[in-house]
Amino acid sequence: MSDTAPLIEVQDIGKSFGATRALDGVSVDFRAGEILAMVGANGAGKSTLIKIICGYHTDYEGRILFGGDEKRFATPEDAYEQGIATVHQIINQGVVQSMSVCENLMLAQLLQPGGRAFYDREALRKRAKEVAALMDLDFNLDTIVEELSQSDRQMIAIARALSGNPKLLILDEPTSSLSDKEADRLFEMLERLKSLGVSILYVSHRLHEIGRIADRVVVIRDGKKAKTLERPFEVKEMVTAMVGEIPKHQHIVRSSSKDASDVKLELRNLVVDPGKPPINMRIHRGEIVGLTGLIGAGKSELAQVLFGMRSPVSGDVLVDNEPYQPASIADAVHNRVYYVPEDRSNNAVVPIFTVRQNMTLPFLGVFDWFGVMKVRNEQARARTMIESMGIKCDGEEATIHSLSGGNQQKVIVARWLLEQFDLVMLDEPFQGVDIRSRHDIGRYLRENIGDRAAIIIATDLDEVIEVADRIVVMNGGAIVGEQLYEEVDRDQLLHWVSQQKGPLEETTV
Amino acid sequence: MSAELSTAEKFKRFAIRYGFLIVMAGLFLFFGSVYRVFWLPANLFSILLGVTVYGILALGVTFPLVIDGLDLSIGSVAALSVMISAYMMVVMEISGVITIITVLVMGACIGLINGLLIVKVKIPDLLATLGMMFLVQGLQLIPSGGRSVGRGAVLAGGVTARGEFAEYFLFLGQGKLFGLVPMAVAIMVVVAIMVFVVLSLTRWGRVFYAIGSNAEAARLVGAKVDTYRLMAYVASGTIAALGGIVLAARIGRGDVQSGGTLLLDAIGSALIGFAVLGVRRPNPFGTIVGAIFIGMLLNGLTMMNMPYFVQDFVKGAVLVAALAFTFGLSKSK
Repeated sequence: MSDTAPLIEVQDIGKSFGATRALDGVSVDFRAGEILAMVGANGAGKSTLIKIICGYHTDYEGRILFGGDEKRFATPEDAYEQGIATVHQIINQGVVQSMSVCENLMLAQLLQPGGRAFYDREALRKRAKEVAALMDLDFNLDTIVEELSQSDRQMIAIARALSGNPKLLILDEPTSSLSDKEADRLFEMLERLKSLGVSILYVSHRLHEIGRIADRVVVIRDGKKAKTLERPFEVKEMVTAMVGEIPKHQHIVRSSSKDASDVKLELRNLVVDPGKPPINMRIHRGEIVGLTGLIGAGKSELAQVLFGMRSPVSGDVLVDNEPYQPASIADAVHNRVYYVPEDRSNNAVVPIFTVRQNMTLPFLGVFDWFGVMKVRNEQARARTMIESMGIKCDGEEATIHSLSGGNQQKVIVARWLLEQFDLVMLDEPFQGVDIRSRHDIGRYLRENIGDRAAIIIATDLDEVIEVADRIVVMNGGAIVGEQLYEEVDRDQLLHWVSQQKGPLEETTV
Repeated sequence: MSAELSTAEKFKRFAIRYGFLIVMAGLFLFFGSVYRVFWLPANLFSILLGVTVYGILALGVTFPLVIDGLDLSIGSVAALSVMISAYMMVVMEISGVITIITVLVMGACIGLINGLLIVKVKIPDLLATLGMMFLVQGLQLIPSGGRSVGRGAVLAGGVTARGEFAEYFLFLGQGKLFGLVPMAVAIMVVVAIMVFVVLSLTRWGRVFYAIGSNAEAARLVGAKVDTYRLMAYVASGTIAALGGIVLAARIGRGDVQSGGTLLLDAIGSALIGFAVLGVRRPNPFGTIVGAIFIGMLLNGLTMMNMPYFVQDFVKGAVLVAALAFTFGLSKSK
């Protein structure tokens, strides 16, 4: 687009959280009047990069250049004043619901240090009108934000971000809670901003949107910049950069022969969400299935049905040829179907507990005597798991927080491998997990699968190819293809992952 | 990982863990060496006796605290228990056993309502139990028309109450086991042991703590989070009612003012308990030690001629100091 010098450059940005390297040597340049899209799997490092640029993280490696001069922001407010405005993913955190449109638009001005205690309502209103006009918003300024639709709220959040005349506008998943029509409105607005010379960083998982509005695309993978793409975009190229390139060397010896008639789990015409296609799938004894697909493809939703967290619309699930319909999570656990959820710190780790207490949590009934815990038995079992999974810790009584991210994840996986399972599902088990721990987890699962079944859910192709016997690809809520490990054809897999009906076809030119 | 800790780090850990108990032991030695009466068994038991009612309430409120909630209605539940006990026995002339059962069931029901308001109606715990506190406080005044109830009291309709407290009921608050150990203290000790066993040794206690620390993680291992939260408030309400029974037995009448400072003393004790052993979370052992600490300090300071009106100030200072000590020191961890 524009050949002028970049407005803002970030150079060699790196950031570690404890033992986890979240970002490593990422450089991006932002040009005036350009929409730069950023894509990457969950946990790839996109949010970390945003948080560094918008002044939230202050201790990072590398430099941020503003028209050639290095700047370090002390706070997000500082970054905002220097011309970087950010609209975060959760809209309702971006607006104050109980306040009027006018007050929301002028929030930054109201909070300005040195402002007067009693503000001039009329002047503020006038300024709010100007901002609203700039964005072509035709709200009654006295409307309380609570009464507005999601897209209106989103517009207000963006309009407010613009009220300080920013040079760079960062939008994190702005369409995640918008309908298609509402998204169209947003895109029109972005075009207008572009023509005003604002540089926009647009983060999204929706590839067709990116194909439609972006001028360039930066792909982040495992904390590194995997690729920068220019128009016209090849969707396949984008997805390849996101989910991985050439299959790595085979690390784990797979169990060789399997009796194909020996079905452990069967899904028959299972409809997870209304309007989605039925799913049919069989998993055999001793088989590890890798379930892959982009975010929103329906992988986690399927796992949640099998774990009793939601009921399917229709269809049957059979375990060992017996009908299986879990009414609750407890019921699923009782039926020996286990689920390691994604995002361990929010969904799995109990921070005040020790390694032992975290491990035995689902199976306390195994270790009790009329309700009283037999701690020695717990300790013995925990110690066995620590040893066989190679968990690096100061013994089973160490607090979970003294462990690195990868070792915490091992503890959480160990939690569900403690007892006999029929089916175990691991949702994004390798997020924020170092390569060593990833191998340890895969190896342990492989060695202990026996005649049971496992599903590994991951967006990253490498992660599933590494441990799975069979790779199943979901897209738009349906299973669109599968391959045995022996005959992995990455191009075909990528095609299944990225194929899309409708708007995408137009953009792959 | 690192086996060798610096001496400073070791000392800090030791201070966090045992600092509170050392201060407590120091005070115990100090008061006793200055005033020998302090160490007499009669005085020590009187300290414990003074602690019993709010100590029992504090043990009860430990349950909601463990699940990261709070119950502000415990003081008024205890006060209502006092009034109902007196009214049932003195005015209605009902037996002590039925009275005790009724009061405990009443406490459990109030706890259940608290729990339902929080879990089902989704009112924040602080607001739900604050509302319940006012409601129960008001309820307490209704049966007697706002008057205290005792033998021979004249009631609203001009009727004179003719019943009296059952002998064994009064024993719960005034009696002594083996002529030495006050019955009320024994009840507190039994409650403390029961709460300790449930919270610290059983699988259910483990789930309570898991819910308090990460409710979503507890839900995703199959714990019935709502049921546990409900049970925490039922336990708190029931134990508060028991505290009220002990209080009624001690004063032997239905006093409208009996609620008093019970709520704050109980919650203060449970919070001081965070500092005991430096665990930074509610725990029954800490709660009971916290309650006894307050009682001991007030007893000793009274011997040193501290005027009664600075008592609340001293309690508050202890609470703030204990919390600042534990949280401040271990913050850097």
